[in-house]
Amino acid sequence: MKTEGQIGVFLCECGGKISSRVDLPLVAELLKEEPRAHLAILPYPCLAPGLAAMKSAIQAKKLDRLLIGGCSSRVMKKRFPEALASMGIERHQIDFINLKDHVAAVHEASPQELAHKAAALVAGGLASLNLLEQYEPVSLPFDGPVLILGGGVSGFAAARELARHGMESILFVKSLSPERVLDELHQTFPGCRLFCGDVGEILREVFAHPLVKVIPEQPIEYIIGGVGDYRVGLKQGDGNVTEVGGVAIITALDREFSPPEIGYIGGGDRVWTMQDLEDRLVEGHVQPGRVVFWVNSPQHGQAAQQFAAVAAWRDSLLMARENPQVKPTVLYPANITLPLTGADLVEARAHGVSLQSYAPELHPVVQSGYLSFVSPGDHLEHEVEWDTLIIPGVPSDPAAKAKELLRWLPIYPENGGGVLKKSHIKLWPDQLPDESLFFTGSAGGICDLNEVLQQGKKAARGVLHLRQKALENRLVSPVVVHVDPDLCEGCGLCTEICPCGGIEHVKPGSGAVPRETDNHLCSGGGTCAATCPYEAIKVLNNTAQQLEARVKAVVGRMQEHEILSFICGWGGLSSAEQAAVKGLTYPSGIYLIPVNCLGSIDPSILSLAFLNGVKGILLAGCTPTHSCHYHYGVDHCWYRVNAMKKLLSLAGLERRRIAVGYVEVNEPDSFVRMAESHLDALEKLPPLPRDDRTMAKLWAIHATMHRPRVRWVLGTSLRRPTEKVFPGSQINAVEADETMLDVLKEEYTVSRILKALSDQPLSPPDLARVLEEPVRTLTPILTDMSKEGRIVTKGWEKSYPIYALGKA
Amino acid sequence: MITFSINDKEVQGEEGWTVLDAARWHGIDIPSLCHHPCLEPYGACRLCVVEVDDGRRTRVVISCMYPIKDGIKVMTATPRVNNVRRWIVQLLLDESPNSPQIRELAKTFGVTPSRFKKSGVDFACHLCGLCVRACHEVVGTKALTFGNRGLKKEITSPFHVGSKECISCGTCLYICPTGAMEKLFDQIRAA
Repeated sequence: MKTEGQIGVFLCECGGKISSRVDLPLVAELLKEEPRAHLAILPYPCLAPGLAAMKSAIQAKKLDRLLIGGCSSRVMKKRFPEALASMGIERHQIDFINLKDHVAAVHEASPQELAHKAAALVAGGLASLNLLEQYEPVSLPFDGPVLILGGGVSGFAAARELARHGMESILFVKSLSPERVLDELHQTFPGCRLFCGDVGEILREVFAHPLVKVIPEQPIEYIIGGVGDYRVGLKQGDGNVTEVGGVAIITALDREFSPPEIGYIGGGDRVWTMQDLEDRLVEGHVQPGRVVFWVNSPQHGQAAQQFAAVAAWRDSLLMARENPQVKPTVLYPANITLPLTGADLVEARAHGVSLQSYAPELHPVVQSGYLSFVSPGDHLEHEVEWDTLIIPGVPSDPAAKAKELLRWLPIYPENGGGVLKKSHIKLWPDQLPDESLFFTGSAGGICDLNEVLQQGKKAARGVLHLRQKALENRLVSPVVVHVDPDLCEGCGLCTEICPCGGIEHVKPGSGAVPRETDNHLCSGGGTCAATCPYEAIKVLNNTAQQLEARVKAVVGRMQEHEILSFICGWGGLSSAEQAAVKGLTYPSGIYLIPVNCLGSIDPSILSLAFLNGVKGILLAGCTPTHSCHYHYGVDHCWYRVNAMKKLLSLAGLERRRIAVGYVEVNEPDSFVRMAESHLDALEKLPPLPRDDRTMAKLWAIHATMHRPRVRWVLGTSLRRPTEKVFPGSQINAVEADETMLDVLKEEYTVSRILKALSDQPLSPPDLARVLEEPVRTLTPILTDMSKEGRIVTKGWEKSYPIYALGKA
Repeated sequence: MITFSINDKEVQGEEGWTVLDAARWHGIDIPSLCHHPCLEPYGACRLCVVEVDDGRRTRVVISCMYPIKDGIKVMTATPRVNNVRRWIVQLLLDESPNSPQIRELAKTFGVTPSRFKKSGVDFACHLCGLCVRACHEVVGTKALTFGNRGLKKEITSPFHVGSKECISCGTCLYICPTGAMEKLFDQIRAA
């Protein structure tokens, strides 16, 4: 739904900070021809008098879109929408152009020159605002049970909390009675079962509650749908799949502990794993004697060691209480902190439990009946006597159950290790609606049983919050991403590369059905839209068409030696603006266009900028992998730039006209150096030639970037959210690159042929002359195109067909 | 509509405006450190003081929070006001001698380091709280806070532990008037 807009432009003098550096009346003069209903230059639009002036202009001219040329959108993005909400102006209806930090404060050029730059940036904003589309938010139903998957113990706490608030849930569990669950608890929480008495109570309440349906775990075939309407396919024993529906999913996953490798110690029956001990404790065997718990396995990290030490402490306390003849000692490495309180230590002392630390750099040595260790206090070797030696378990990799769920939910192993994390996208809190992805349990980080139960309770509260909103009719899904079902061919590339879960999965084997979106999870990163081979995905108010219009408008007003720069909304934008705050300057021949993430830039935008005559492009984003806010957005951008470089060199232009730079949020100096360096490098190059031959080539490059086959190949080579392999270190990097080059070459030639034939029908030798290519490379492509019906034979000339555009 | 005067010039304003808003709108500059248009007025630095005559008496008030009223007379640079500002700048200069803004102000007011100067102090941060308030009010996260009290007051992450709340948006860096945040940033953000 598109509405014709009345755009108001407000330029800020900022108390002289902008008006002294930029000739604002000249900017207004330069913007005379642009589509705008109102333009005003105000001393301080952001202060109360300025807002009052804006309000009266909005009322008088019926403005519904505003462009504010002032300071950073980051600090002002709440001020204006909040103040102007009474006039019916929302956040997306306001565009900010940062004249202060992108123009006024960072350049030494004259106010008149800077006015031209400011006018270009504002014109870009106007072009983009002009294409604003409005979508009505969708009201979501929220009626049905909650699905609690994963079988973690936190699921029980969640189910109890939900049941107590009158909400139904379906709980998938490994064992079907409270006793069985308790018996198996030590596999995930060693040392905890005997200590946390209320777990049993929770379990009994959950199993008996009429609102909780406890069913045995079954293999998950698929999870589809989104908030309010999730559907989980369960594979039955007979191979059929049954579907269970729910309004929300709570994923409760616990990390299992596997018995440590104790074979190397020997000692036969006197050396136990913690699991052995727990099994015996359940049976009630507490033998008298000296028991030493040795917290070892530093390779699993300090968190695991701390957890093991606490588990050992709990078990030793229990044993000492049951049988005063037991003398337990917990030997732990000195570089961990025991999360024990003073009261805990007093109790330990009262029961004769000894807590002893050892210097971690010197491995303790086991002897028959003795364990020698170096004390960190006096660097002296001490010995502790044992009758039974117990080695705590070590955390194992995510279970098969977890892997099954990860296939369908945006939860990923952190740094390729065993710890799972929810999609780690970090955004402004106001960019995301309510939390709707609930992930609990020790699989997200080793922690105590009590904490895990708390997590479960918290997740349930989150679901209840959603239900409350639904009851009040406030549960609406914002439209962030929209898939056009007419254009979507159901290839599924977007689902594969989506890091946030915003694009829903479809049932396996359901064929090529159009994708749907779960906007509660969508982060608006936009790499899906830039990838889609059929250009069916739109990021609301941030569409490729809007960016295209902006780039066209800005480039149209640039001089031929100036360059365009896309900066990402995090590292790039922050560093660029901080350069202004710090008082750094750089040449004014670089025009900054902020985007949310570089990954949202459609490859065709790059080619469009060149087609419109820009001399060069710089893209500044966050450092890949660890600081990109959208997983691999900047990485995806790299692939697109790479394709652009290849096409430039195919057209005989310089590859170095386009470059990607990486800058962190706190690196203004690096940003300035990057901009200067790219400007320097391009200074030696001539402006882009504007003759017909080059223009035809640039047109062909642009057409190539729109070609579904090219976009498909580009999309398949992008890094997936679960992948950790860098583009450079992939297997057969050169071969993969050459495949891409072949596809680009072929499609580029097709585009050039189409361009040439759009002027006049030509025979292969004539085409070869026009395109300056040998006939033999064109012939197979022409034959293919003719077979596909993209070109037709108009006639014959000296036994050569004359090809023309159009259908046969 | 409210009619009043600033520096003997008759001006008009609306209910809810502050003296600082009105003065800046009419091109009269009032120095300030802790005021930012995107944040609620805070009233910490007291540098934006002006003299207000409400017909009964004259008082020195902070303009960033003082609402305009009918008939008041505002004077922004009387000797009394300048004297107050000079003392404030004096104390701020001793507290944070490396802040470029405060050095600038010290130059304007002819202030030099005084006998109150602490030895070995080179803070650039003058604790205006813009970063803390921006983090809460603009970003909506609580990754920054004031730590300690009195002379030991500082900007830090909650509990002095690298903040997991931080989204690395850089708003605090942008809003910091002294550049002190640039050095603090990596301590505050969780690794």
